[in-house]
Amino acid sequence: MTDTTVSAGFRAAARRRRLLVLLGQAVILVGFIGTWQIASDTGFVDPLFFGSPTGVVARLADWFVNGTAYGSFWFQIFVTLEEAAIGFVVGVFSGIFMGILLGQVDYLSDVMNPYIKFLNAIPRIVLGSIFVMWLGLGLAAKAILAAVLVFFVVFFNAYQGVRSVDPNLVANIRILGGSRADVIRQVIIPSAMTWIVASLHVALGFSIIGAIVGEILGAQHGLGLVIKTAQNTFDSDGVFGCMFVIGMIVLGVEVLMTRIEKRLLAWRKPSSAENIQDV
Amino acid sequence: MGNGPSTQLGHVKFEGVSKRFVSPVGQTMTALRDVNLEILPGQFCAIVGPTGCGKSTTLTMLAGLERPSAGTVTISDQVVSGITKGVSFMFQADALLPWRSVLTNVALGPSFNKVPHKDALDMARNWLRIVGLSGFEQHYPHQLSGGMRKRASLAAALINKPSILLMDEPFSALDVQTRSIMSNELLSLWERDRPTVLFVTHDLEEAIGLADKVVVITAGPGTVKAVFDIDLPRPRGALQEIRFQPRFLELHQLIWEALRDEVQRTYARQGAPVPAKETAE
Repeated sequence: MTDTTVSAGFRAAARRRRLLVLLGQAVILVGFIGTWQIASDTGFVDPLFFGSPTGVVARLADWFVNGTAYGSFWFQIFVTLEEAAIGFVVGVFSGIFMGILLGQVDYLSDVMNPYIKFLNAIPRIVLGSIFVMWLGLGLAAKAILAAVLVFFVVFFNAYQGVRSVDPNLVANIRILGGSRADVIRQVIIPSAMTWIVASLHVALGFSIIGAIVGEILGAQHGLGLVIKTAQNTFDSDGVFGCMFVIGMIVLGVEVLMTRIEKRLLAWRKPSSAENIQDV
Repeated sequence: MGNGPSTQLGHVKFEGVSKRFVSPVGQTMTALRDVNLEILPGQFCAIVGPTGCGKSTTLTMLAGLERPSAGTVTISDQVVSGITKGVSFMFQADALLPWRSVLTNVALGPSFNKVPHKDALDMARNWLRIVGLSGFEQHYPHQLSGGMRKRASLAAALINKPSILLMDEPFSALDVQTRSIMSNELLSLWERDRPTVLFVTHDLEEAIGLADKVVVITAGPGTVKAVFDIDLPRPRGALQEIRFQPRFLELHQLIWEALRDEVQRTYARQGAPVPAKETAE
């Protein structure tokens, strides 16, 4: 066989495989929703507790068209995202800052070690209650809760990243005439960046969790409040509807984040799995 | 930054230098013991010795990355007490920043020394041309071959016009052919500005082929066992050819005599059986 027939055959096989994967995914989606709908319609499961796909769609349509008890549905989404975004940014930057600081200063790291371990061990979600008591029902309490959740994820990764910097690179920069600030800017931060970026996906999920839990604990607007109200009125369609909306939003942001990640880490050697296929 | 070669700069002296390391459990390990060595400005000095004899430590002390436990290291009569200007270091592993292009990597040296950004890039472009890497300016290090990365490292080390160039087994990771090509290129680059070179290697042929002076270090704790002057004429030409010259073979035999005992001692200490060839014959 010539090279061209080999590669044409390979392309056809790859296309066939992609189609098969899509087909499998479609089967699972239709199967799941169909089973749910039928089980609910036939009374196999109680629609009061489990809702139904058509019920969820109807509930969402109603919210989007007529709004919720707290104003338009879009506004609730906006409020939650705003809280999550502020929490995310604050948490990420403070996590990077502290991670690099403690990664660089051994004394500080030794002193802080038990406290950080303890803070990480306590269920921080409960801090939400404290923040709501301190800061009221507004944006600040949720943003801070989200930031606290995000902080630890990013902090541990940044710290580990700083600790695993190649000492050769540091020595080289110093010999070339770089100052301590140059070492941090040119070596420590870029090198820790691989670790930090890896933590951002988890951090993103945590920022949303922080915002929503904060809203459930006490709020005047936001998806968490909508969920809590739906829960209190046994509106399972409403709870599932909110879950779905949040899932879609996070997926969208994940796609954006993967793009940013690719740009930030463009210098990395692509792993062999990414560009070599077994023919 | 110095302006071209200087006969005053780059005069290296080790006087009674010892270096002990303390392990985290408090055990001390003596890496170097009472090293006395003088290298004249512009000399190419190769340091050979068995694995783990502390030969790399001589370089890190000279670079100011570590301090001697006893004795003094001086450069042109100045005691080395920290990072010293005019010293460049080429490590065994690549020290190029993987997240920077080749061009900006090479430009690091001048930009740390307050050269305006644009001028630094121009200097770097010029050095990449000298080492034969024109057209690869925008590549990331991982996109280059091992030999090309070494050339980029050389450019990054030489762009600051060092009076002393320290090299710690710089070519040991390369295949044999690339290695001999790099040796020749190193010599022609060295001829340009003639910095003092300390070149650590475990390859005796490489040492004799490159250096004016070969220093044999004993098995750890390392100290200077013998110093040999290499009187092969310069320019030497390709290492592949000169290594069959009678004088080269003579020097090789002479230095190997000194080195062999140390290598065997290290071998025995590591619990390995003494090579059959050496005992049976």
